[in-house]
Amino acid sequence: MNSLHLYQIAIIFIAAVMIFQGAMNFVRGKNNQTILKLLIRIIVWGGMAVVAIYPDLTNTVAELIGMQGNINAVILTGFILVFLMIFKLLSAIERLEQQMTELTRKDALGEMKNEK
Amino acid sequence: MAKEMKTYVVVPAYNEEKVIRSVVLEIQNAGYRDIIVVDDGGTDGTRAAAEKAGATALRHRINRGKGAATKTGIEAAKLLGADIIVTMDGDGQHNPGDIAKLIEPIKTGRIDVVLGTRLKNPLGMPWYKIWQNKIGNIITWYLFGLYVTDSQSGFRAYSRRAAELINTHSDRYEYDSEVIREIHLRKLKYREIPIEVRYTQYSMGKIQKQGFVNGMKTVYKMIWGLIS
Repeated sequence: MNSLHLYQIAIIFIAAVMIFQGAMNFVRGKNNQTILKLLIRIIVWGGMAVVAIYPDLTNTVAELIGMQGNINAVILTGFILVFLMIFKLLSAIERLEQQMTELTRKDALGEMKNEK
Repeated sequence: MAKEMKTYVVVPAYNEEKVIRSVVLEIQNAGYRDIIVVDDGGTDGTRAAAEKAGATALRHRINRGKGAATKTGIEAAKLLGADIIVTMDGDGQHNPGDIAKLIEPIKTGRIDVVLGTRLKNPLGMPWYKIWQNKIGNIITWYLFGLYVTDSQSGFRAYSRRAAELINTHSDRYEYDSEVIREIHLRKLKYREIPIEVRYTQYSMGKIQKQGFVNGMKTVYKMIWGLIS
């Protein structure tokens, strides 16, 4: 294996953080993290890390879908970054939605307690 | 003599001013006085109408969805000391006469959750609703590991123990499927009991609003819940 490029290190790092976070959530039983959720996380982010470490694997895929040229790697990196941003954004929105619901619930229940 | 079990009926409601009074009165006529109506941030007088009819009325300041409203109602019932909690829709499609059937297996102490099912006796149910439900059941089974005949029914009964154990995060219609997942995960004992559904012009109007697009949103939310 040749020396790693910066983008490979970045992807490996991000994937490791995401898998670590999922594993910690599972161990702590946080956020209702199930084994299925953890497995899906490991497959998605682990798959990205494997491709980053062994980029030659993509040649097989590229041959299969008929892609050629280095520019594809750049486009792929862009896709991965966009995917990452969307993933984080959707996670943040979901978290905010849940917090909003919790607040709304506390408010409604608080009102009921005050009336009793 | 064994202590009488306290049953609370939780009714999530969004803009149901026209029918909520009759829904509450019907539940009272069926013999249940402890009723909690959760007005889910509606723009009409649902809360006032429910209160006037004799229910304990709670209000979400903003609309958070049927799942969130149901959970708020269940939390309120727990605070008020409920032993059994029944949930039913606020549009009048469920028959309160079925509550006795639903709570009976919990009273005997053998069952934790009773699921009212429309599909064991789908008389009068539109064909597309039957298929919509079957697809929902298959998706729920595939994602959450438990096959039930009506994963989208809102007419259910929970023992106090089940209400304490079930931990949901979904706000909208995916809530009903999430409960199925919790039954499976927490190894709760459940039973499905056929219920009657009254498809009136009013309730059908509501169902139309929960059509294909909302169905797809529900599936997306269920998948997102698994990967996020």
